Amino acid sequence: MTPRPSFSKRLWSLCCSLKLAIVLASGATFLAMAGSLVMHFNPNVFGAIDQLTLIDWWQTRGAAHLRLSWWLTLFATLVLLLGINTLCCFIDWLGKIRARWRKLGEYLIHLGCVLVLGAYIWGSFSGFRHDSVPLYLNQPYPIGGLPGHYLRLDHFEPRLSETGRPLDMRSRVTLLRGDQQLAATEISINHPLLWRGLVVVPVSFGRDVRGFRFFQPQRGTLDLATGSRVDFDSGSRLTVETFYPDAMLRGDRVIKRGNRLGEPAMLLRLEQPGQAEWRGWYFLRGPLPYPLVSAGIRIRPTQPLFRVYSVLTINYDPGSRLALAGGILIISGIIIALASFYRKRRCGDHPDIR
Amino acid sequence: MLQYQIPLLYLAGCCYLAAVLGYLGNLRLASRRLAGIALTLVACGWLAQSGSLLLRWQAAGFLPVTNLFSTQFFFSWSLALTYLYFDLRYRIGAAGLFVMFVNLLLIASILPRDPAIPALIPSLDTPLFTLHIIFSFTGYAMFTMAFSIGVLYLWQQARPTRQLPDLVLLRKLNEEAVFLGFCLFSACMLFGAIWAYIAWGYYFSWNIKSVWSFIVWLFYAGMCHAKFVRRWQGRGYAILSILGFAVVLFTYLGIGLLLESNHPLD
Repeated sequence: MTPRPSFSKRLWSLCCSLKLAIVLASGATFLAMAGSLVMHFNPNVFGAIDQLTLIDWWQTRGAAHLRLSWWLTLFATLVLLLGINTLCCFIDWLGKIRARWRKLGEYLIHLGCVLVLGAYIWGSFSGFRHDSVPLYLNQPYPIGGLPGHYLRLDHFEPRLSETGRPLDMRSRVTLLRGDQQLAATEISINHPLLWRGLVVVPVSFGRDVRGFRFFQPQRGTLDLATGSRVDFDSGSRLTVETFYPDAMLRGDRVIKRGNRLGEPAMLLRLEQPGQAEWRGWYFLRGPLPYPLVSAGIRIRPTQPLFRVYSVLTINYDPGSRLALAGGILIISGIIIALASFYRKRRCGDHPDIR
Repeated sequence: MLQYQIPLLYLAGCCYLAAVLGYLGNLRLASRRLAGIALTLVACGWLAQSGSLLLRWQAAGFLPVTNLFSTQFFFSWSLALTYLYFDLRYRIGAAGLFVMFVNLLLIASILPRDPAIPALIPSLDTPLFTLHIIFSFTGYAMFTMAFSIGVLYLWQQARPTRQLPDLVLLRKLNEEAVFLGFCLFSACMLFGAIWAYIAWGYYFSWNIKSVWSFIVWLFYAGMCHAKFVRRWQGRGYAILSILGFAVVLFTYLGIGLLLESNHPLD
């Protein structure tokens, strides 16, 4: 009678079991089949899942809709167990490598899969995704999640077809840590900025109204935006404190309605020698405020001043390089496994039967 | 030169039709000569289709595989190539009937469609996309071959005939088709992941197409292991090949045509 193997040996056998791998893969497959349809038909819950890391999505949306998202937890558990099973198989093979070296290709694929899975888990826990961030020229954008790091847009040029269809978006960006430049490159479609797990890709672009151009009789044009300051010959000084592209009056307060051009308004400050300072709102579709008229200022709005911005996605995935290493191992494993497969076929070798 | 693309495609369709008739005759008359003629016709059809594909590729400046017409075209081309590989290597003869019939259906379904090549979306303008597509459809073609061989295996088991390869060879062919398909589809997934990372900033998307591609990969990874389990060898493997093809069809056509995804077909 053969002695019963110890518990640890039985446990290790279970962890390396081929049948366990098939059961876990089957369970994950069936669950993903059903779950994918749940995802597809519930965009209100799952629509933004790619805009966040899996953990962030779970904390913000998934946990709040357990009735629809429970399967994802079970799927993740099955895939994790499958990953552990695959790793155990690889370790088990390593221990028998002298006798089973011909399986090198297959086990490199196993190791590659474990690395890709590990990388995905690492990225989900430690990474972040900032989807569709508007970046203005020369205004450093602090990257949330990487303290002290900024992204600056140095130049932006959209490329349009003859029909006006966007073809590409070329943004020259600089990654900074404090004042230190870490990376600088021109990004466009399929050419992102890559830096130690950080990836910056172009998404879109837009333009918003930053101010207005005015006509001054006998003096030409005058561009006014937030922060503009104009000194007139009479000694008076006009300052634009705030500009709203679309504003409305609620009670005695002016509030901003949005960034699209609607009812543009400017909060102005007028300083005149020997007179009290005046501060008030000027709705550009209305008449010029009386204090400006009485100060001899004659300006008439003619056209809005636009500024173009680039919309970028800024993702950080510390596991991305590990995932790439896993991918390279998988491809290497496939090439070796293919060579080995045909060699075995030539020798008339048959698959092992367990 | 582009005006020859459709005549070449018709020529390929005629060759495949004649090949199917040849294989039918071979099945009935057990004529080796007929099997040889049918194989030659498949090769001629594939060459004509390759010519059409090259003309389209040259005219577009990129591998045209961005809508239903062109993906089915490329799928059919890959399937004919896969069949040629198996027939030239193993002389499977009448076993080609089923796979060439599937190919004929593919060709017949695209002939009435508009062959115009749509403009390339900027994000698809990368060699990674070309590699992703080539490996994807050659992988699908192998899975289709496995499906055909699976059906023939069950047929041979239920009604043995000398015109089809024996069960041992059919089992070996099925395992080879699944293994090659898995290798090619893994490469497709890998190039797709790298492309997704540089285009969107993440290498795995939870979009339904990506999830089902992962399901296809997981299913065939399971099949590559199942051949080592006695219960799943032979008949079980043939049934799994048929089920796997259903998953492939849903991933390719079901999602592309019925559901909204990041891989639209039309």
